[in-house]
Amino acid sequence: MRHIVTRELLDHLTSLRFALTTLILVALMVTNAIVHLQTHPERVRKYSEKVNASQTELKSRTQLYELLQKGPGKLYKRPSSLAFIADGGDAFLPDESVSGGFWRLYGLTYLWSMGVPRLNMEALSNLRPTATVIDWVFIITYLLSFIPLLFTFDALSGERERGTLRLCLANSISRPALLVGKFFGSLIAVLIPFYFAVLFNLAIISTGSWTQLGGADWGRVALIVLIASCYAGIFIAVGLIVSAMTRESRLSLVVLLLIWVTVVVFMPSTLGTLSTKWMPSVQTHHQFQKTTAAATDQIHKDFLDKRQALRERHQVVETSQEETASIDTSELEIQQELVNEDMEIRERLSRQHLAAQSAQVLRARQITRCSPAAIVQYALESMAGTGFNRHLQFLAYANLHVQQFRNFITEMDRGDPESLHIIGIPKGMSEKPVSPEAIPIFEDKLTFQDTLNPAIVDILLLILLLSVSLAGAFLVFLRSEV
Amino acid sequence: MFLTLIRQELLIHLMSARFFAAVVITLLLVVANTFVLIGAHEERLADYSQKEAINREKVDATPTYSVLKLKVQRPPNPLSLFSAGLETRFGNDLDIAFDSVPALSNPIVDVRPAEEQWAFGSVPSLSSPGAPLGLNNPYLHLFSQIDLVFIFQVVLSLLSLLFAYDAIAGDWETGTLRLVLSHPIGRGKVLLAKYIAAMVCLLLPVLMSLLLALIQCSFARSLQFSTDDFLRIGGIVMTTIVYLSVFYLIGLFISATTRRAATSLMLCMFIYVILVLVYPNWSRFALNPVGDMRGEKRSAEQRITQIREEADRERDRFLASSPLKGKPPIFMDTEGLSTLFSGAGYFLLGDFPRVNLELKDAAHPLAQHYRRYYAFAAPLQIRNAEKVGLVGEQLVGQTSVRQARWDERLMKLSPASLYTFATAAWAGTDLDGMTDYIQTAQAYRRTLIDTFHERETFASLQWFAPNEQKTIDGSILPHFRFEPVDIGINAQRALPELLLLVFINLVLFMATFLIFIKIEV
Repeated sequence: MRHIVTRELLDHLTSLRFALTTLILVALMVTNAIVHLQTHPERVRKYSEKVNASQTELKSRTQLYELLQKGPGKLYKRPSSLAFIADGGDAFLPDESVSGGFWRLYGLTYLWSMGVPRLNMEALSNLRPTATVIDWVFIITYLLSFIPLLFTFDALSGERERGTLRLCLANSISRPALLVGKFFGSLIAVLIPFYFAVLFNLAIISTGSWTQLGGADWGRVALIVLIASCYAGIFIAVGLIVSAMTRESRLSLVVLLLIWVTVVVFMPSTLGTLSTKWMPSVQTHHQFQKTTAAATDQIHKDFLDKRQALRERHQVVETSQEETASIDTSELEIQQELVNEDMEIRERLSRQHLAAQSAQVLRARQITRCSPAAIVQYALESMAGTGFNRHLQFLAYANLHVQQFRNFITEMDRGDPESLHIIGIPKGMSEKPVSPEAIPIFEDKLTFQDTLNPAIVDILLLILLLSVSLAGAFLVFLRSEV
Repeated sequence: MFLTLIRQELLIHLMSARFFAAVVITLLLVVANTFVLIGAHEERLADYSQKEAINREKVDATPTYSVLKLKVQRPPNPLSLFSAGLETRFGNDLDIAFDSVPALSNPIVDVRPAEEQWAFGSVPSLSSPGAPLGLNNPYLHLFSQIDLVFIFQVVLSLLSLLFAYDAIAGDWETGTLRLVLSHPIGRGKVLLAKYIAAMVCLLLPVLMSLLLALIQCSFARSLQFSTDDFLRIGGIVMTTIVYLSVFYLIGLFISATTRRAATSLMLCMFIYVILVLVYPNWSRFALNPVGDMRGEKRSAEQRITQIREEADRERDRFLASSPLKGKPPIFMDTEGLSTLFSGAGYFLLGDFPRVNLELKDAAHPLAQHYRRYYAFAAPLQIRNAEKVGLVGEQLVGQTSVRQARWDERLMKLSPASLYTFATAAWAGTDLDGMTDYIQTAQAYRRTLIDTFHERETFASLQWFAPNEQKTIDGSILPHFRFEPVDIGINAQRALPELLLLVFINLVLFMATFLIFIKIEV
């Protein structure tokens, strides 16, 4: 067995395809690293500038009401240090929180609410021609599937054509041993140039002081490399299956290439958009705005009715001092009700709108998981902390922070005995200045767990696919005639 | 003999499993993607008509002419099915106002600090297209859309290489080449026979998938192709053939230079990956020949500020002799203002602030002064906007367009990109097509202003104060129509790329021929 692996390996290492593979992989990985080196510091700088500005502004507010009304400031998504691995369309996905609607009516002011984050259409609609970003995802999904096919299409059919297969099996080598030998021989031959290119890439990236990776990052990179190896293994196994099934190596190559084109190039995008055809359509932005407007109008109308009723009571009843006071407090209360309900309904509706959109994307992604290329893409995006999963995590953290921020305000208000505890109205809230250090600050973080959890499904699916294709290769090869 | 050779080659190809498999896959991909594309087109159409309705509503609700913001739209191009180009990504709706000039993009936006951007929305006096049409759920843009040309580009070029890689090397190995050449037939003719047979075989899947796509389109009511569109599709087919021929000849060339079919195959595959998949993306990703453009943007912004200040001075000179006092949006300091206007009213900030308050008494002497002011200010704003528009257009030319053109030029080193750009030119979805749209919008704005001039709208009361119905007369507004350019112009635009492809073809054929002649059998 060891003998077969070494023979296969040596065979491959001296071949033209090995040289070409090394060349192309190294070239792409080096480009990727250099571009990352040039662009990443700028991204990090912009992020910290924006975060600092937002925090300074937040800390300049000392009144509880002001804090509540203006909200926790803009919350920003931290750029991932592994963005060179998976771009994930991050230029297009929102990287900051957005406030909901605003109004000033009846002497009242809206309370800040978390709105629907804006997508950066500019990233999509600029005049430059479309192109895919050359990140690890591109290199892995396209090349680590194409190259294994080139290494294996003639592994069995070629030997059968030349007659060496018969010769080989005439010796005391079992078929499984031969297959495993072929599998590992080809896999190692594919992975050597890949690892080589990866090392090149990481070495270049480590030279920049802005782009250096932390301890957890190295762990993630290691896992990503393992995922990529697994992916290459799947295509080697598929190559062996087809190679064992066909008589001619020419035909086996054509079949493999067509499988490759369909599965890797077309399925991830076509299946995604195709599947949404059968899903219930989501609200358009215009419809969302209309529903929000209708809902808030209703709240405002209710408020006006209630205020009218109060005013009438005020006029009709011969007012005692006590009663005027009670009417005043109930006026404050209905005002509180208005601003809080307005804020809540805005947040609820935008959350629903977003949830429907995300659900559709997630379902479409489930269906594209038919293609191993899509699985690897999603796994790598999650591991690198970019892409859609990261976007959802960011929103979840931002929402959590908003909750904390509001709780903090309520707590502070409760601590002040002079306050009327009517949250949302300037008169009803504590007027004690808040110390800037006490205000909760949002810091976007990304733990190892956060990156691993959404990727687990994909990793398991990949392992499953690998074992299925290996088993398939065994079955086909055991039954094939020599 | 020549005909026999062609027939033999044809039969070999047609009966081969690779041909069958490739045709099946191409057809499947075409059918599935056409289905998706038709759906996307319908979604864009629905979005288009919804937005049209909203725009009409907005015009109907406009109280005065000065705050009129017309939105025009580019109707979805059915040919984007074949070649999407910029069509599905580039912004669609465009603000048309007397004081802002449409431009391809608004390049100054990113040099302004974020707070100012909020205040102005964008650079006043320049309006650039908003969001692209379609996709109720914008997050679905994460899945890239595939057009029919992309399928041909990826699948059929692979097939042509597979036809070619063993055409000579394979024959040489098996010895058939020696046999064929023992007949009294020139080597050039053998080569030509192989070429013709392969091209016929490649043409078949193209035509079949095209027919299938057109049949699917005819079932969808929303897609109507005009005669010119069919001619444009013809142009796309022609470009496809030339493109596939390039790849076949690349394969043939490699096949003639290498003696072993296996080596030739490896080279073909790697060249395919590099030309079709890697290089176009790589060049756009790694090369940025234009570099940092912030300097140009800053200087343009300074010029725009100067233009604005100059206009402000001119306005102030006029106001010096007018009884209207204070800042122009509402002239707060003017005496007797409260007797002229009632209601809270509103005013919009823009390049020049515009007033829009409810007028109590049209015969009031101050009203006359208001009218005189606006009769002066509106043309000034128009001139001002046009000056800014000129600077903006220059800047767009220097920055965004220059960058896009350089990207295109560099990408065109690969025949795959040449093909993409040529078909986009045929379909009218390329950068030139978008420029046409902007120019049509600019012409529309001028017609609108001419209409205003003719009716002396600028000097009328309704320019700044609503009438009783609080609506403007929508019927006087000219209609916007964006027609695709003449097919001749499409052809002209596709011609450079097409000729380059033909040129590559000729060079490759010559080279292959020369090598083949000298080959030892």
